[in-house]
Amino acid sequence: MVSPLILTVLVLGAYPLVFIVGASLTESTLGNPFQEWAGLASAREVVASSDVTDALARGAGYAVGVAALSTVLGVVLALALLGLRRGGGLARGLLLLPLMTPPVVVAIVWRLVFNPAGGLLATLLGAVGYEGQAVAVLSSPGLALLGVAIADTWQWTPLVMLLVYAGLLGLDREVLEAAALDGAHGLRLVRHVVLPSVAGVVLAAFFVRLVLAFKVYDLVAVMTAGGPGQSTTVPSYLIHQAALQQFDLDRAAVITLLLAVVVTVVTVPVALLTRKVER
Amino acid sequence: MLRTGARRRRPPLLAPAVVVIGVVLAVVPLLYLFSVSLMGRNELVAGVLVPSDPQWSNWSEAVAGTTLTQAVLNSVLAAVGGALLSLALALPGAWALSRRGTGGRTLLATVMSPWLLPPIVAVVPLLTLLRILGLTNSLLGLTLVYGLVNLPVAVWLLQAFLHRIPGEIDEAAQLDGAGPLRVLTSIVLPLAGPSLVAVGLIVTLLGYSEFLLASFLTQDAASQTLPVHLSLLLGERVAEYGKIAAAAMVGILPVLVIALTLQRRLVEGLTAGAVK
Repeated sequence: MVSPLILTVLVLGAYPLVFIVGASLTESTLGNPFQEWAGLASAREVVASSDVTDALARGAGYAVGVAALSTVLGVVLALALLGLRRGGGLARGLLLLPLMTPPVVVAIVWRLVFNPAGGLLATLLGAVGYEGQAVAVLSSPGLALLGVAIADTWQWTPLVMLLVYAGLLGLDREVLEAAALDGAHGLRLVRHVVLPSVAGVVLAAFFVRLVLAFKVYDLVAVMTAGGPGQSTTVPSYLIHQAALQQFDLDRAAVITLLLAVVVTVVTVPVALLTRKVER
Repeated sequence: MLRTGARRRRPPLLAPAVVVIGVVLAVVPLLYLFSVSLMGRNELVAGVLVPSDPQWSNWSEAVAGTTLTQAVLNSVLAAVGGALLSLALALPGAWALSRRGTGGRTLLATVMSPWLLPPIVAVVPLLTLLRILGLTNSLLGLTLVYGLVNLPVAVWLLQAFLHRIPGEIDEAAQLDGAGPLRVLTSIVLPLAGPSLVAVGLIVTLLGYSEFLLASFLTQDAASQTLPVHLSLLLGERVAEYGKIAAAAMVGILPVLVIALTLQRRLVEGLTAGAVK
């Protein structure tokens, strides 16, 4: 019964791990991996490269920031949906649309919105009387990553909303009514009664969101191609560049291992906290 | 008429206001995509929100004489084929996991662990494996990869559903002499029907949207999927935004129809792992 699962773990987990560790310790190119033993030479080189450490720090900061923003917005939307008297089904359906949109299309949508020559953002800014130079979000080093983060948040906030909303629906009505009788209303009821009782679900949603934010690749590839400069080069994109544009497989393998370490260090505390709160 | 409603506090306007803002933010970018798909080149740079003279020619240019419909079809085939494979492989495992105690939890965590890392991690090893098997640049190879890659998600969601089927039912069948395979096909499968639809829908959408693996595994025009097709349009020297927006609209129409008609099933599937 479980043999397909074991096969999956072997093909998706064990085999890539062995392959990558092997590639990181040998001279390897994409077409010709494992040429000769090189030991830790490429690992030393990669760790010393500021491109790599910068990208890893950027990726971790991006993931935490985007996950936090999506979680806050998702919780607010879920609470608001719960407070609706009517029209909840339609609103929920419309709010889910970004989640259903393929990431490449999301990237196209936001490229059009941020297009400095006549895009939606430039047009709206013009309509409210902004007359300065057009803001080229995706080609300015300071704003490009923010632009990608906005697209990412737009796409995945509905998932957080949905998970938290499901948790809210599972709350005990009697507890809420008792608290309401005791004089807890509106935002006070939310803060002291509702939020503490769904804390586990909110943390679990944050964890899922964090994992998804570390995976960002499509948006960067289509919106900015890692630029301008290196300002949006997240680790996944750096690995793609090393392996499939420069064919430098041992460098790509070392970055991959470092990324695995960073993802683990960032996500495990959240997973442990989630488990503790749910208990 | 009962007047209890009037005595109750008036509902705060905060909740509807927040929902309306959320819906506007969710929908406006997609409406803008539709709007751009009908714009001529002059309107694109002029900062127009709604085209005065809709250029449906963008749509016909995006479809006619291009590989767009082939790409959509490829995406559908790989996504549906991959989803069926994921479900077929996941159901027995998920059932076994949902009927075990701690051993099941450890195995579940192990199965989920590849999902935690960004998929780029597995691209080069998988590419090498498929090259050895002679399955690069083929829809069959991509379908197999999707079936495998989405299996952890399918197992996770399915076991949450299967937990709700009382264990007594399959125990009773076993007492009547049914072997594990018999219990699976004649007891678990019918009971799990609705959840298979919900989970299948989600893995299909994941496959339909997938870009990273498709861009490496299917490079020739015959096997390209929709996301790869769209990314290549953007890479052309003169990116024609009207035509690109039209192609993107054609590509997401099936998804939007599914999202709005099968919303309940989707929500069930998405929230299965979260609520106990």
